[in-house]
Amino acid sequence: MRQVAVIGVGQTKFGKFPNRSAIDMGREAAQAALKDASVNPKLIQVAYASRLIDSGVIAQHILKGVGIAGIEMVNVQNDCAGGATAFRNVWKDISNGLYDYGIAIGVESMTTMSIAGKMLAPLSDDLEGQLGMTMPAVFALLANRQMELFGTTLEDFAAISVKNHHNACMNPFAHYQKEFSIEDVLKSRMICEPITVLECCPQTDGAAAVVLCSSEMARRHTTRPVTVVGSALLSGEYKYKQRDIAISDLGSKTARAAYEMAGVGPEDVDLVELHDAFAPEEIMRYEDLALCKPGEGTALLRSGATQIGGRVPVNPSGGLLGLGHPLSASGVRTIVEIVLHLRDQAGQRQTPDAKVGLAHMLGGSVTDLEAGACAIHILTR
Amino acid sequence: MTTHSTGPNTARIPIRGNAFVESANGLVLRANRCKACGQIFFPGTALCFACLGTDLEDLMLSRRGKLHSYTISHMPSAHFAAPYAVGYVDMPEGVRIFTPLKMIEDKPFKIGMDVEVFEDLLWTEGATQVYGYKFMPV
Repeated sequence: MRQVAVIGVGQTKFGKFPNRSAIDMGREAAQAALKDASVNPKLIQVAYASRLIDSGVIAQHILKGVGIAGIEMVNVQNDCAGGATAFRNVWKDISNGLYDYGIAIGVESMTTMSIAGKMLAPLSDDLEGQLGMTMPAVFALLANRQMELFGTTLEDFAAISVKNHHNACMNPFAHYQKEFSIEDVLKSRMICEPITVLECCPQTDGAAAVVLCSSEMARRHTTRPVTVVGSALLSGEYKYKQRDIAISDLGSKTARAAYEMAGVGPEDVDLVELHDAFAPEEIMRYEDLALCKPGEGTALLRSGATQIGGRVPVNPSGGLLGLGHPLSASGVRTIVEIVLHLRDQAGQRQTPDAKVGLAHMLGGSVTDLEAGACAIHILTR
Repeated sequence: MTTHSTGPNTARIPIRGNAFVESANGLVLRANRCKACGQIFFPGTALCFACLGTDLEDLMLSRRGKLHSYTISHMPSAHFAAPYAVGYVDMPEGVRIFTPLKMIEDKPFKIGMDVEVFEDLLWTEGATQVYGYKFMPV
């Protein structure tokens, strides 16, 4: 396997854009990433794109507009881990020596998609989905369990939302740039007890893209390549094996695989971008990623370690809660944020002297499995 | 609690044919157990996910279990109007079941409480009534 570098990143502003198509947003992100990489589009040999709803051959639709055609293009989806899956596949192809240059794109238009305003219907065979399991319910069940087992409080969940919305205020690409107080969060509309609307990610439109190449070639294009040192993608294990819904076997197993490949440990990680689709989830992920001991995620939050300026900032971008969550875009967008920090380009959000960053994404709900997919990437400068 | 056919044009179908049986004492959940390794699954499966064995025997579950977690949703789901409650129930046989829950005013949900299975109408699709299992606080 060869070493692979990220040499270009780009994203659109996230928000609600009823007059922009997914193709238009994807093109903007791809163009930004190619420009950032200083790479001639004709050098790109492989592309993976992810869009969950109305996908079609989205890679081809996007890339023909930036001068790329006649190469291998693959369209993938993995629910909210689709973007991370696209990124991993470009990394695999270059790492395996099949190609030298590739691009990963994630895009979603929640406003213009064909099922806009409707719920994602569960598959007819998905018994839990038929019986009322929704994504907010998944994490509300977790939240009540965390309160019971670990003494996590409603204020702790609200503090995640307050933190990530605060971070989003420093991100010009964020959907929301507004500070909220603990009281604002707790008093906002109840969605799925105890999760309120300000503890749910918004419905957001946006796109992100990343250009990768072999580390050998990267030196021709940049003096500060960011290296992909760890990549892991796993489906959820059978749920009958899960001892407690507040302990994620999938998360810790995927993290161990990524750390092992990267040759780094959780103590080496300087910043994290993770799937905070619902506020209680972020606390569980601290434990999955071994940023703290099992059961001590709440204490880690309360210590302030995961704020900007803390020991290991988590979701300095604003996360899914503040920056927004265009489903398939998020798994590419998290990589964009990590790369900006590793290049000292994250402005007010910058993690000082960041050397190691971790991007985490989760996707999908499946009867009998803990979740659809978990993807973790570790990058270094 | 049981909703029976209301007319000649009304069909009544179970949400999952093999998941439960109707007995004189009410609904009983049907799991199955792998004869080779002993792993229990609900709903029953043709293939043991643990050892890949294909010889599994029916196992009728207890009527009562303990609430592992719960939530009351204030958003509708594909079939349920808001508010509705769902949760996980840990059964004495060692399986955890995701299930709709019935809200009872003077018995608020609490993790660890005893809950009992019963049969109920889940939703209606045109002239078809889909029925199945729910749990409620004891």
